[in-house]
Amino acid sequence: MIYFFDGSKDAFLTAFLLAFRDDSAVFTAGNRQLSLGQESIFVRTDPQKALQCEKRLMELDKNCIRELTLLLRSGEEERSQIAFDYLKLIAKRKRPVRCDLSQDAVIAATECMRRVTYEVHRFKGFVRFMESESGALYAPVSPDNDICDLLLPHFRERIPEIPFVIHDVRRAKAAVWDGSHSFTAPLEQAEIVLSADEQSWQSLWRRYYASVNIPSRKRLKQMKGYMPVRYWKFMPEKPAAATGDLPVREPPANHKECGDDVLHPLGSS
Amino acid sequence: MIAEETLKILTESAKYDVSCSSSGSGRKNTGGIGNGMPDGCCHSFTPDGRCVSLLKLLMSNDCIFDCKYCMSRRSCDVPRAGATPEEICELTVDFYKRNYIEGLFLSSAVQKSPNYAMEQLVRTVKLLRTKYNFHGYVHLKGIPKADYELVTEAAKYADRMSYNVELPSEKSLRLLAPQKSKESLLLPMKLLQREKAEFSAEKRKGFFLPAGQTTQMIIGASPERDGQILRLTQSLYRVTGLKRVYYSSYIPVVEDSMLPAMQSPALREHRLYQADWLLRFYGFDVEELVPEGEDLPLDVDPKCAWALRNMHLFPIEINRAPLEALLRVPGIGAKSAQKILTARRYTTLNFEHLKKMRVVLKRARHFITAGGKFYGSDDTATVRGLLTAAEQPKNAKQLSLFDAPSVLFSLPSGREAALAALTGEL
Repeated sequence: MIYFFDGSKDAFLTAFLLAFRDDSAVFTAGNRQLSLGQESIFVRTDPQKALQCEKRLMELDKNCIRELTLLLRSGEEERSQIAFDYLKLIAKRKRPVRCDLSQDAVIAATECMRRVTYEVHRFKGFVRFMESESGALYAPVSPDNDICDLLLPHFRERIPEIPFVIHDVRRAKAAVWDGSHSFTAPLEQAEIVLSADEQSWQSLWRRYYASVNIPSRKRLKQMKGYMPVRYWKFMPEKPAAATGDLPVREPPANHKECGDDVLHPLGSS
Repeated sequence: MIAEETLKILTESAKYDVSCSSSGSGRKNTGGIGNGMPDGCCHSFTPDGRCVSLLKLLMSNDCIFDCKYCMSRRSCDVPRAGATPEEICELTVDFYKRNYIEGLFLSSAVQKSPNYAMEQLVRTVKLLRTKYNFHGYVHLKGIPKADYELVTEAAKYADRMSYNVELPSEKSLRLLAPQKSKESLLLPMKLLQREKAEFSAEKRKGFFLPAGQTTQMIIGASPERDGQILRLTQSLYRVTGLKRVYYSSYIPVVEDSMLPAMQSPALREHRLYQADWLLRFYGFDVEELVPEGEDLPLDVDPKCAWALRNMHLFPIEINRAPLEALLRVPGIGAKSAQKILTARRYTTLNFEHLKKMRVVLKRARHFITAGGKFYGSDDTATVRGLLTAAEQPKNAKQLSLFDAPSVLFSLPSGREAALAALTGEL
């Protein structure tokens, strides 16, 4: 049986309750090519069932729901299946399994979570703010995983007196700190007037970046390993960056993102 | 706003300072801007593969010293520039809030006199902390021969301070940096360490170098061998309590008859760092790694070289070996060792498991058994051939085996070293 759901945690948990005894269950939040003869079901969120499921899982492993939310943020196509396999193992063994590091389900889940948290860590460094006329800061990002709100606490502690927006242009959402509250909101395109000095600071930064390099020790491969080219788009120090021009919404990545739009299995409409 | 040209000059004279780490300080934001990030944070990477974490600047490159290897030396004809404390503070804060940098690394040439240069540094960091309310990371360079009062004052505001040892022996120092002496570098380090110990013993308020001290040595400008360099390193870690020793491959930026004209190979620097890690996190003693008058082998890494000299200790069984032994297997690092310890509580691990867990087996397989099975070769010559052939065909040379004392697992303080290995790098 194939279980489709909208990608949210509650929908996942509702579906989990239906599926965890099904050994051939396939979990997916995106569109998926159906193979002939496979039954499929689209699971709608049932808050009560989700709560029941969450409670039971928390009894078995009090950290697993936090892990589930991390897994569902992943940009990997297989994320729901990885989360399902991992939670199923917990349900089967009735205890935490995260330390059983040679188990396939645990390896897959650990790796998947690591990619999400690692990207959060990287973006604490790679986010680049621009200053608007009002003094508020704006940073466009397009991370692989759905992490822009996970970056919020870090910057809120760091620059509590300055309002800022971290805009995930790929997922058309933004994490906002207005100086006293933080929240996330859908945001297609931002319109911002840059402060008078912004271009000069960016230009100083480019000059610094160029000066601090040691040309006789060129190691491009290493640089790209640490700072992949796909992240350069919004970094003023890299030539690929569109400095000053505000980004428009990008087409979604090759797999369908779980957004507000309801997903249907292919061929069901 | 600072002029672009000034920034360029002050950056280019500062960039040969290797240290760029921003870890070790948990300074909180108490109104204003910035905080510490104990794990450190890299904000960008330059085409030379180095990370940009701190805004690395000299306050001035106008120097009265005449150190042969330095491009800011008095006798060198280069454009000179300087920045005011205000300019530096403004630059730091504006870069910081745009998230370009994690903090400031401020150094200075010895302008006018050591005390004058140090005063400028102290003034800047004080201004940054008090007027600009900046709580981000600040690394200050100590100026040799400056008064202790100034140095300890600086330590109250900076997160980390460093005096560069520069050259690994007193003789070379006298030759190439005539105005510096061993004492002028080591004494302030020891003083700061003592003050810091007092500070934490008395549980005084505020901060005193929360991220400790580091130093740097230039490799390849003088004739010292790796063995000598690493002995100095080990004593710096044990006696002076340094957090890090950085090695900087000599790059000829100025011509001088006393200096080599060639750039020192990056591989040598890399091997020194590998050995450095073995000293700090893997429970090795320098005596096990390399004799005093020799260099580290270039064709294999230092741990591998040690293991090849001590083949009688291997193979070890992955399911039973203690952490200290796992850490000594070539190719198994702190993370893999920890993974193995955790996973083997559940099942007897075999090679298939290790592969799935992404433990790198290329080197390790010659030194371990998994569930009693061995997939390597136990002939030293064959193993050496297998491990070097792929990596360094040109530099491959016959090495004298059995030339170092084989002290088995002599951890200075077993548990602590093991823990340090697990909690990671800095």
